[in-house]
Amino acid sequence: MSDLLRILENEFQIIAISFLIFVYILRIVWLFRFKSSKEKTYPEGNAKAGIAYSMLNVAMPWTMETTRKKHFFYIQFVLFHLGVTLAIGATFIIPYWPHLFEIKAIVWIFQFIVGVAFIVGLFRLYRRLADASIRLISSWDDYFSLILMILYFAVAFLAIPINYQRSEWPLILFFALTAFFLIYVPFSKIGHYLYYPFTRFFLGRTMGHRGVFAKKKKNRSTEGL
Amino acid sequence: MSEKIKNKRIKIEDITNLPLELESQKKASQEKIGSVSEGKLKLYNQQKKNVDRFRELLSEKITRQLASSMVACVHCGMCAESCHYSLTRPDDPKMTPVYKADQIRRIFKKHIDWTGRVFPKWVKARSPVDDQDLNHLKNIVFGTCSACRRCTFNCPMGVETALLIRFARGILTDLGIVPEGVFNVSRDQWETGNQMAVTEEDYLDTLDWMKEELQEELDIPDIDIPIDKEDCDFMYTINPREIKFDPRSISHAAKIFHFAGEKWTMPKWGWDQTNFGLFSGDDRLGAYVAKNVYEAAVRLRAKRIVISECGHGYRSTRWEGYNWAEYDQNIPTESVILTLMRYIQKGMIKVDPAKNPEPVTFHDSCNLARSGDLLEAPRWVLDKVCTDYREMFPNRRENFCCTGGGGLLSMAEYRPLRLEVAKVKAEQLEATGAKLVCTICHNCVDGLTDLIKHYKLDMKVVQILELVSNSMVIRMP
Amino acid sequence: MPDLEVKGKKIELSQEGFLYNPQEWDDDVARALAKAEEGIEDMSEDHWTVINYIREYFLEKNLAPMVRKVCKNTGFPLKYIFELFPSGPAKGACKVAGLPKPDGCV
Repeated sequence: MSDLLRILENEFQIIAISFLIFVYILRIVWLFRFKSSKEKTYPEGNAKAGIAYSMLNVAMPWTMETTRKKHFFYIQFVLFHLGVTLAIGATFIIPYWPHLFEIKAIVWIFQFIVGVAFIVGLFRLYRRLADASIRLISSWDDYFSLILMILYFAVAFLAIPINYQRSEWPLILFFALTAFFLIYVPFSKIGHYLYYPFTRFFLGRTMGHRGVFAKKKKNRSTEGL
Repeated sequence: MSEKIKNKRIKIEDITNLPLELESQKKASQEKIGSVSEGKLKLYNQQKKNVDRFRELLSEKITRQLASSMVACVHCGMCAESCHYSLTRPDDPKMTPVYKADQIRRIFKKHIDWTGRVFPKWVKARSPVDDQDLNHLKNIVFGTCSACRRCTFNCPMGVETALLIRFARGILTDLGIVPEGVFNVSRDQWETGNQMAVTEEDYLDTLDWMKEELQEELDIPDIDIPIDKEDCDFMYTINPREIKFDPRSISHAAKIFHFAGEKWTMPKWGWDQTNFGLFSGDDRLGAYVAKNVYEAAVRLRAKRIVISECGHGYRSTRWEGYNWAEYDQNIPTESVILTLMRYIQKGMIKVDPAKNPEPVTFHDSCNLARSGDLLEAPRWVLDKVCTDYREMFPNRRENFCCTGGGGLLSMAEYRPLRLEVAKVKAEQLEATGAKLVCTICHNCVDGLTDLIKHYKLDMKVVQILELVSNSMVIRMP
Repeated sequence: MPDLEVKGKKIELSQEGFLYNPQEWDDDVARALAKAEEGIEDMSEDHWTVINYIREYFLEKNLAPMVRKVCKNTGFPLKYIFELFPSGPAKGACKVAGLPKPDGCV
């Protein structure tokens, strides 16, 4: 392994990830600086149950009309995000537990999912360009982030088998891209997972409190009498 | 359906170029009405730096919940599948919820968010430059969205688009940049405490009249519509539309309450449970109107507040109003549907479903189903008072808006578009095969009646008080 | 919204079928509005009693009368008003009487 790759895999990643964490903390502080509102009404349901339901919404495709009807879109979503998770996982496995990738089956699973995510990415790029209403709302960040993801999947696919002997380039590219991601993500739409708990929390709290999400109190009509 | 009625497609430019200046604002300014001079009701002023003020208000008013909805959207476009505007006009990219919300989001990005402040073009951040831009925004947030919240329930991220729309409406209301109808109704509610400018004299006279008619009809001399009676089990609040144009619903309610042996009253002041603050986005108006109701209940030492059939009124009085007014809820507040349910459950009134034999379907009002909590109670009651109940699909929190929500019924200028996109609703109604569509919202009554007429459906809108009143078995002593 | 044609004259209607210029109203316009908007083929004497009262009230106060006032002054019971004008006092009778659309949730 070359020194370049070793530094890239280790020290450089740690610096980048520290930067990401630092910016994320700033971002959360920033969000918390907006004023919050207090609930003054009697509950009809349970806010905590609503929050739990809301957070898990994404794992319950039957609860939303769009995901219930559009199976294909939901499966794409799952594979795409699974691909992201595995690719990120690989950035830890390669430097710290490389023996895991000595098992052929694991390499194949990783490659398969990341490969499918790559295809999904291409499909999503096509959709973003072909559908006039999505094209209208798309910004440079939307396109750039998506293209970046597609490239990332491709490079991850090549890097996962860890083959220093043949060529180090897939690994160098993979880690260079990872580092770039860590720095770019908090400023782009890719950072949406940081906001997911926020929007989902607020929606779940309101809807849980009102009894729209999750379970309701029983015998409500006789309450207070 | 499509053979029956051919819609003339509305050109979107027709509504995005509507004027800024309003006749009624000019009149209000000449007459120096109280709410204007006290700074409650805002008028558009060309001389002012409205664009700068818009930015200031944006920073002042934004909450954590709204800010997270501003940053969380990933432009996936899923919401387009859930909105009756984009479903009816699939080839019009400006009809998607995300596009509408982005018109506010881009201003937030330009001034408050990080990336947008440094690289605005990269994330499509942009600030309004003149009043015409604000006017354009007005026509989008008031004219192309009924704030039904359906997209939020179909958004993987949980982005509150309807709340962002209301937020933008509120800022524009503060600048006097509003549709004429919104201005007029806000004016009346500020000036008279009710949205139809009903005077106290007219209010009392109408209630008295309803009482006399009931006494005559049922031949019961002691049937009463009590006013300002203290220490009652509940205080009944209504929609001014009931007083002004159709008091039959008050008479149905009074009849049912009488036979249930209820100790109830209506307040002399604070009887309007509707709230235009919800539609205009003006939290101060919302707080004022809601507080009138809460304080009336305290004054009369009522044990609870009962809200007549109304979607936005229920949402405002039961949920949002307490928070707008920062008023700790001190007694239960319920929709009359729960009161009826209790009467039937406890055997306080006897009902016979055979008296309502026509096929009935139920329309869930947005504000009751998605922003309130009334999904099963109306169905429970309908099951008891009708013989042929038919579910509408989709239903409950997935139901489509009557298409007149969000205050759109008061904004005549957007009506052609509203009726065009009501096609989704018309098809949904027709598919039930029902002759009656029941709703527990006055706004939906008018919204649905409008589209039934427009799409020539063979259907009639009814409310639940009417059905219950109709089904009652009265044993005379 | 299609405009109304009354005796060769074009009458402009608002988005909701209300008269755009309330001063253009006359008996013929009322008949045409009743037919187009309310499906009333022949205006009876009782229709006219209601319409004329609403019209007078509007000209005097620039406001739609409460349905209470309509009943009190015409002597008709509420049910009968709804029989005469199926869309009710606001969207039915006021429209035929040539009033602009009332404000609020209607």
